[in-house]
Amino acid sequence: MLYQLNNVTKTYNGNTVLDLKHLSFQEGKVIGLLGPNGSGKTTLLEILAFLLPPTSGEIWFKQEKVNLNLSRLMKLRRKVVLVQQNPILFTTTVYKNIDFPLKIRNTPKAKRIEMVNALLELVGMASFRDAGAHTLSGGQTQRVAIARALACSPEVILLDEPMSSVDVENQITIERIIREINRINSISVVFTTHDMVQTSRLADETIFLFEGRAAETIHENIFSARIETANDGHRYCMLPNGFKLRTRSEKTRRIRISISPGRIRISRNQFSTEENTLKGRIVQLNQEHSNVRVLVDAGIPLNVLIPTELFDSQCMGIGEDVWITCPEESIDIF
Amino acid sequence: MDFLTDSFFSALLLIWTLDHNLIEIINVSLKVSSVSTFVSALLGVPSGFLIAFSEFRGKRLLITILNTLLALPTVVIGLFVYAFISRRGIFGAFDLLYTQKAIIIGQIILIIPIVTTMTISAVSRIDDRYRKAALTLGANLRQTAWVIIREARFGIVAAVVMAFGRVIAEVGISMMLGGNAKGFTRTMTTAMALEYDKGEFVLSVALGLVLLGVSFTVNIFCNYFQGKGRGSS
Repeated sequence: MLYQLNNVTKTYNGNTVLDLKHLSFQEGKVIGLLGPNGSGKTTLLEILAFLLPPTSGEIWFKQEKVNLNLSRLMKLRRKVVLVQQNPILFTTTVYKNIDFPLKIRNTPKAKRIEMVNALLELVGMASFRDAGAHTLSGGQTQRVAIARALACSPEVILLDEPMSSVDVENQITIERIIREINRINSISVVFTTHDMVQTSRLADETIFLFEGRAAETIHENIFSARIETANDGHRYCMLPNGFKLRTRSEKTRRIRISISPGRIRISRNQFSTEENTLKGRIVQLNQEHSNVRVLVDAGIPLNVLIPTELFDSQCMGIGEDVWITCPEESIDIF
Repeated sequence: MDFLTDSFFSALLLIWTLDHNLIEIINVSLKVSSVSTFVSALLGVPSGFLIAFSEFRGKRLLITILNTLLALPTVVIGLFVYAFISRRGIFGAFDLLYTQKAIIIGQIILIIPIVTTMTISAVSRIDDRYRKAALTLGANLRQTAWVIIREARFGIVAAVVMAFGRVIAEVGISMMLGGNAKGFTRTMTTAMALEYDKGEFVLSVALGLVLLGVSFTVNIFCNYFQGKGRGSS
């Protein structure tokens, strides 16, 4: 077992951002931490990187209980490295950025040159060796940050949303790097994302986080809403852009809702005059095992998951208008 | 108007010909100001860094006090130091009064708050991600501190340059503690005051032009380093 977390919480000014009863991570795997913004992913990564102590609870790393004493943490930090979302490079050259972890570990100069050049090749940045780090694009910065992290020869690399603000070409490169370092160097990888497709493509195992807690399944189609009672006496969740979904919830304050993609019905033809029916356009299609994930723009983006056979029978394609219905039982209210 | 123009051109001639008197006065100013800036940087930069980097009770009060000390008049500092180093003062036996050392001491007191507060400002502006990046890459506290100082280097250099600009142009401390002795404690500012009293405007104007030139150069360097510092935060 790589990590084991028991009753770990993190609180800021009375606000609990993380509350994990029991969570474990297996060694040698690529693990995806999936959850929406605000689910505590970054906080969890910083705790796993020993940069942030938990408010309470205990952490075990490789079967040893972590002593949160400052002097002991430095030894652990040299085994686990975090690449931040929007990583920051030192204001010097790309070469010196990657050289930094080697230099502080007193690695001999000849070995440092060899390692830095090898890492530059791995991340496809060899031609930027002497470039100023602040002249790089977002994707290039991400790649150099990964190379710099790998220069630590870590046992674990933690990546916070590594592909969130990079273009497709850089995404492909970063995915390749993740697979290679896990397969060839046996480095355990934990990455966070809010993209279900990315996780299914890359991760051996997925952990879902929602509002600071580990969840059984991923919550998707998450929106802030408020519940109002209409003139007809029915209660509705009022979503952004003025959409409303009927509900039986008795809650009255501002809430968050999640609409289960597997329970949304989709069709090229409008279902009678059923409640909670929206018209939208298909903007993206992805095969996901035996299902097809359909992203529909209905004024709000909605992910719908339908069996492949059903999708094929409906002959739907990108750009086509569809009708989607969100039954009351597909809506979870928090 | 003729008087001003004549004085101006005569002053330019003094500068062009590197008049001995002029050079002697400029040397004293540069020497005294350089030493006080160097010592203030040695004390103020680490202090500023420690204050910015650490969390402790009373931090905001300390910063407020330092900001208040920025407005200390030079004559007040001169008076304060005089009380200590005059013959009746506790350090009277060291015979510091009316020496370059006395001016240096007074100028250090003047500019340490400047160096410290500007260093605090430069370090505080540095993105916290640098600290986290250094720590996660395995740096210890000393190495992490060096990373932050390096990232804040432009702001820190601007602080030191600004401090130099302040001391080279001050007159209160130099006058009260230096005594304006020719070739010894006569700085550009005290010499200007003396020559004005004597009605000798040419040397005054020449010194004024040199001071303006120094101030202008200091401001150019300050803007340059502060601009670089803003670019990297």
